[in-house]
Amino acid sequence: MAEEGQVIACHTVESWEQQLASANTSQKLVVVDFTASWCGPCRFIAPVLTDLAKKLPQVLFLKVDVDELKSVAQDWAIECMPTFIFLKEGRIIDKVVGARKDELQCKIENHLAPVQNA
Amino acid sequence: MAASGFEGFEKRLELHFYSDDNDPTVTMGLRLIDFDSLKKVLRVVQCAVVSAVGNHFFDAYVLSESSLFVYPTKIIIKTCGTTQLLKSIRPLIHLANELGLTLCGCRYTRGNFIFPKSQPFPHVNFRQEVVYIEENLPEALCFRKASVMPSKNPSNSWHVFCAGDGDHLSAENTFTVEVCMTELDRVMARKFFKTSHDSSVSKHMTELAGIDNINPRALICDFEFDPCGYSMNGVDGDRYSTIHVTPEDGFSYASFECVGSVYDDQDDIVDTLKKAVQVFKPATVSISTTSLHRREVWTRVSRAMEPFGLKCRSFAMDEFPATGTVVFQTFTSPCRK
Repeated sequence: MAEEGQVIACHTVESWEQQLASANTSQKLVVVDFTASWCGPCRFIAPVLTDLAKKLPQVLFLKVDVDELKSVAQDWAIECMPTFIFLKEGRIIDKVVGARKDELQCKIENHLAPVQNA
Repeated sequence: MAASGFEGFEKRLELHFYSDDNDPTVTMGLRLIDFDSLKKVLRVVQCAVVSAVGNHFFDAYVLSESSLFVYPTKIIIKTCGTTQLLKSIRPLIHLANELGLTLCGCRYTRGNFIFPKSQPFPHVNFRQEVVYIEENLPEALCFRKASVMPSKNPSNSWHVFCAGDGDHLSAENTFTVEVCMTELDRVMARKFFKTSHDSSVSKHMTELAGIDNINPRALICDFEFDPCGYSMNGVDGDRYSTIHVTPEDGFSYASFECVGSVYDDQDDIVDTLKKAVQVFKPATVSISTTSLHRREVWTRVSRAMEPFGLKCRSFAMDEFPATGTVVFQTFTSPCRK
């Protein structure tokens, strides 16, 4: 995929739903960054996210602008920004509220760690 | 008292702006200052952003040396250590001007430095600070006042400088409470030493110390420093709160700052302050309350200190342009004077 290793911005509800659907079937870990163009804290962490996307192509990084996709932001009850929501197979498995670099990194690593089955 | 160490006592700067086209409902205002420009200003002050969060009302940044809050028409920066906070005035006025915002009020406050000789220009002494601020304020802010509010202890006073344009008075019905605590209980202070390297150390500190209980409604953006030290910003609607801890024995210090409204239940601030002081169990507390419209907030502050056996040792009250009434009280436990 040409967009692997990048944070994919969803500009329409359709593209958002498309991305989620394809992630569900591939069982990929999805990290959604709820952001806004004017949000200072979001811009603080943007380089970290871009970097993580480059290093972890096995994770799907999506970006949703809360002004562009108001309905999605409302559905997901986004109050503070940035909010990072972790999804796997269509379910919310974790969340980071605020531009918290270490927490974001650690949680991604934890969710990527293979589950050892005896 | 240690010969030298980290300076916990903060310098605090609050700048108020109004929109050139006098729009009372400036929606984004200063929040539109691009992040790279903010970073440059912070570099001049000698600090950096370590964590951040924003909501509908404002952006809250945890800095390497305290905190920054950006509202549409108000900026509050609080920095400790040997930062040159006042150097942010000129660039911030410039950045605001570019957005069509003009400075209408300025307030600078601080306590006494534990290590005053370590402070760089323009913070060598209060006189130098006042001269520097005045040189960097536009002439329109022609109502100015500087005062050192005393306590019984000459090395524990509250320095205040306020300036306003005599117009554009803030319509806010809020009051600010700035609490400075020293000689922290050693057992409580130990909670702010880093003991592991996983990602949730700061969250553990917040919970262990009971800081999340001070305002359970607030979203907390916390950060732990290596090998010790802690900072947090609390975000609750349009209100911020902030805590900074220097836990080392010999120069231990913790600050707590929050905002209240004249429409709050009278006991809210009492409960909040009790919980905050409970976290640190300090031997010395000084509290400054600033309010434009409600002068008697300070009486509730006194009540909050009673359960800790902290006796009020001094009281000073003064009026300042564009700011209102500032009350400065100091409290100590009976065995210390």
